[in-house]
Amino acid sequence: MTIDTQQKLLLFGAAAAVRLLLFTVFPALPELLAGRVEVSTPVTSFKRLQEGVFLYTHNVSPYDGGVYHQAPLLLPLFSLLPNPAYAPLATNLFYTAVDLLSANALAHVADSGFASVTRLFASPRKELRWSSAAIAAGFLFNPFTVATCIARSTSALTNLFVLTAMAKASHGASITFVLAAAFASYLAMHPILLFPPLLLLLYDARTLKTKTAPDVSSFVITHSLGFAAAIAALLSASAALTGSWDFLAATYGVRLLLPDLTPNVGLWWYFFIEMFDSFREFFLGVFWLHAASYMPGLTIRLNKQPLFVACTLTGVFAIFTPYPSIADAALYLSLVPMFRHLFPLMRYTFLASASILYTSFLGPAFYHLWVYAGSGNANFFYAITLVWSLGLSIILGDSLYAALRDELDVERPELQGKEVRRI
Amino acid sequence: MAAESEQTFSETSPALQNAVKSSNQPPPETKESLWLRRLSILSFWAVVVFLGLPIWLKTTAIYRAELPLQEMTEWAEGKVCKPVFPLRIAVEAPDVSADAHHLLRTTQHALDDINDFSAHHLRLMLADPPLTANASQQVVSDGTRIQSDDEDVALLIRLIPVETGTTPRSHLQPFSPTLDVYYSPNQIPSQSSTGSTLATFLAQELHSLFAEEQAQLAHLLSTISGAHAAKVKALSPETSAQLERQSTRALKYAPTYHLTFSLFSPSYAPSAWDIETALRTYISPLLESFSGISNFTVDTQVQLYATFAPSVRQPEYDEETKAWTLRKEDLSGFVNAAEWPLSPSIGKGPTVNFIVYVPDHTQSPLLVNENAGNSWLIPQWGGVHILNLQSESDTPSALTTEMLAPAMHTFSNQLISLFGLPQSPASLPLRISTLERVRAASLIFSASSTLGALAQVYKKLPSIPVPDNVAQSTHRTIVHLQQACDFLRDGRFPSALEHARAAEVEAEKAFFERSMVGQVYFPDEHKVAVYLPLLGPVAVPLVMAALKELKSILKRG
Repeated sequence: MTIDTQQKLLLFGAAAAVRLLLFTVFPALPELLAGRVEVSTPVTSFKRLQEGVFLYTHNVSPYDGGVYHQAPLLLPLFSLLPNPAYAPLATNLFYTAVDLLSANALAHVADSGFASVTRLFASPRKELRWSSAAIAAGFLFNPFTVATCIARSTSALTNLFVLTAMAKASHGASITFVLAAAFASYLAMHPILLFPPLLLLLYDARTLKTKTAPDVSSFVITHSLGFAAAIAALLSASAALTGSWDFLAATYGVRLLLPDLTPNVGLWWYFFIEMFDSFREFFLGVFWLHAASYMPGLTIRLNKQPLFVACTLTGVFAIFTPYPSIADAALYLSLVPMFRHLFPLMRYTFLASASILYTSFLGPAFYHLWVYAGSGNANFFYAITLVWSLGLSIILGDSLYAALRDELDVERPELQGKEVRRI
Repeated sequence: MAAESEQTFSETSPALQNAVKSSNQPPPETKESLWLRRLSILSFWAVVVFLGLPIWLKTTAIYRAELPLQEMTEWAEGKVCKPVFPLRIAVEAPDVSADAHHLLRTTQHALDDINDFSAHHLRLMLADPPLTANASQQVVSDGTRIQSDDEDVALLIRLIPVETGTTPRSHLQPFSPTLDVYYSPNQIPSQSSTGSTLATFLAQELHSLFAEEQAQLAHLLSTISGAHAAKVKALSPETSAQLERQSTRALKYAPTYHLTFSLFSPSYAPSAWDIETALRTYISPLLESFSGISNFTVDTQVQLYATFAPSVRQPEYDEETKAWTLRKEDLSGFVNAAEWPLSPSIGKGPTVNFIVYVPDHTQSPLLVNENAGNSWLIPQWGGVHILNLQSESDTPSALTTEMLAPAMHTFSNQLISLFGLPQSPASLPLRISTLERVRAASLIFSASSTLGALAQVYKKLPSIPVPDNVAQSTHRTIVHLQQACDFLRDGRFPSALEHARAAEVEAEKAFFERSMVGQVYFPDEHKVAVYLPLLGPVAVPLVMAALKELKSILKRG
């Protein structure tokens, strides 16, 4: 245990050192990354947050400028920190701490072992796993996570709450789980879809902990009511803070209706630039339903592995939400190593990792060609974002296949290691 | 898409190629996995049916506001409004006696006899001279009496008895709609007589005064639909051609015109001009009197070192007249459209350009070769005036109002023709009121035909959305048209023009509604192209999975 703690401290220290070193050695880096479309989207950008904070501290409604689309409760928090233009250290420390807390939560999730052994299911390869420190290291030293932290994007906070919700659910802590899930949903809206699978995870964890299964309907009702109450409390606090309910249209309305078509790594912006105006609303509905429709199907089909469902949904968010950034991909890619036991069953790991690497380098290059050099056009960047999404969906589909194959191996042990065929 | 593979994968019964060989039937699925699979397929279908379908219906519904199609078509076909132009002419006689009444009656008879255009008729009324009019007379005034200062009076005839000179003779006042007729008292017809020289003279005089207006209106009616053509008097080909020429020269009607006065000079001088005073003195009064018909905005500019286009032949020196000359053919290229900053439209409404060109003193005077003129009009565009300064020495650095006077006079004349004012009669207010009537009629026609076009578009293109504001504009157009038509019938032309203008604006607003044209060129077949590429790949696995499930349920059942 002491060795484990030492290891963890060393890891966290190194991660914090890397971040603070990057902040201090390259003082221009945060500004540069905060301006990159791959890192900062209209709903997570630090520059827009600063604009909102400026308006807020000058007693103007932060949403009047039409620039700020983030949750109102971030404003008092960031107005407490000294102005990052003159004293960036506090903000830097804050973001470093957010990352360390996220890594800690991720380590807790990995520690719980719910990835391979759940209440109703145990993978035949459950011995195949990485230590929680290794998984936390995978998160902390993931270049996407580091870039998100340096760019001070607020999706770092969303990731923190998503990971905390997972950690609390996998340890059966009801109240903190509900609070963390409510905060994540309040900040980014789409994490609300993680609530059903994580509730299932919480149910499993509670059953294992107390050795008795709680009553299903009362369990679901109390937790859903608690979740609704927490979100209602957050929203009313926001309304009290800004003095009106206008923030709903400026935050969640923007995510739902996509008025800002700034390019990002997702699939929506290009599509809606090209879309006929009269079909815009219809396809907004189609895209949102598509993104949301995975939740019930996956939760039902893989109800024995709720943590895997939650992990897969974060992958879906990284591809199919309107304003994804590499922060969402970082979250998904950090959760995938928990399912080390599925890796032998995955078939396209080379293709997926190659396309992710390929797009990580070519994406910024093509964006430069389009916007700065003028020798390319929007199609260059869009093609790269398509390949990026393709890479992520290969990992997603492949891991789903592996998870189902894993279940099949439990169901019919005689077929282990043999090829399957659809009939 | 990953989820789709997941569903179909769940159907992967535990069968291997080897296993299939040994036992042809895969082992049956467990009940639990069967229900799991059905539930997950059902959950996808539930999202599609309960959320997808309502969103589809809601977001692709085309809203079409109700339009009064029947009424619109009737307006366009000219069935609702037959424009008539009853002109009120006040006659101011020195003594309001039975004789005057008789004179009026006989003149009216004579007028009606010579008038062959039924829609346009002149109605004589005995007027009370404004000075002698008192309250009691006003109260008893019947339909045949009118105040001579009423603005709806088209023309005031003042009968003035004189002893000397040839009688009857007439004089049209140039700046008020007043015709002074001088007669000798013995020319008043007595009660018994049926004709008189004065009555015939008056009738002839009035007829010739309004001849051009009648011709213009007849021309206008004949160019519109056949519905009006029946009662239109035939115009001689020459008059027709003449009117055609006038109308091609004049600008299209617009509620607002933008006037740009530009000073061009090939050198550094003159670099200033007293244009504000000049405009106030010479142009503003004219614009003031046009204000009932259109509004005007004015701006000015000075452009130095303005050179001719290289393709245009340079002016030549003519020894005989000691002047530099431009050939008539080159006038069309005189305005160097490529380099001179003459913006085609500033703000709303068409721009009318007036150009003062001050030639370099080495090339002065600069004249048109054929007629030694120095100004010309460019149809539907504006006018040019070459301002040859008298001084022998260098060009002055600033132009005074006096130096600009000839240019301003030219421009007012050009503006009058560009504005479409008729050539005759000599009285400006009469010409303006004629234009008022012509404009009112033509605006009614154009607004009606716009309504007709809108009705056609509505009927022919069932796929375009029609927002509520189009319906509102249409209703307002019809109301204004009706009012314009009523005022026209009552002979109250300024009000008629006002409503016709409003009708035209509303009709254009309805027809050119932006959200309506978006889908004009969007046939239904294109919807396949919109829906299929995205929804096809999603729908195929969903439908196939559902079909397979149904089949297996049927087999079992």
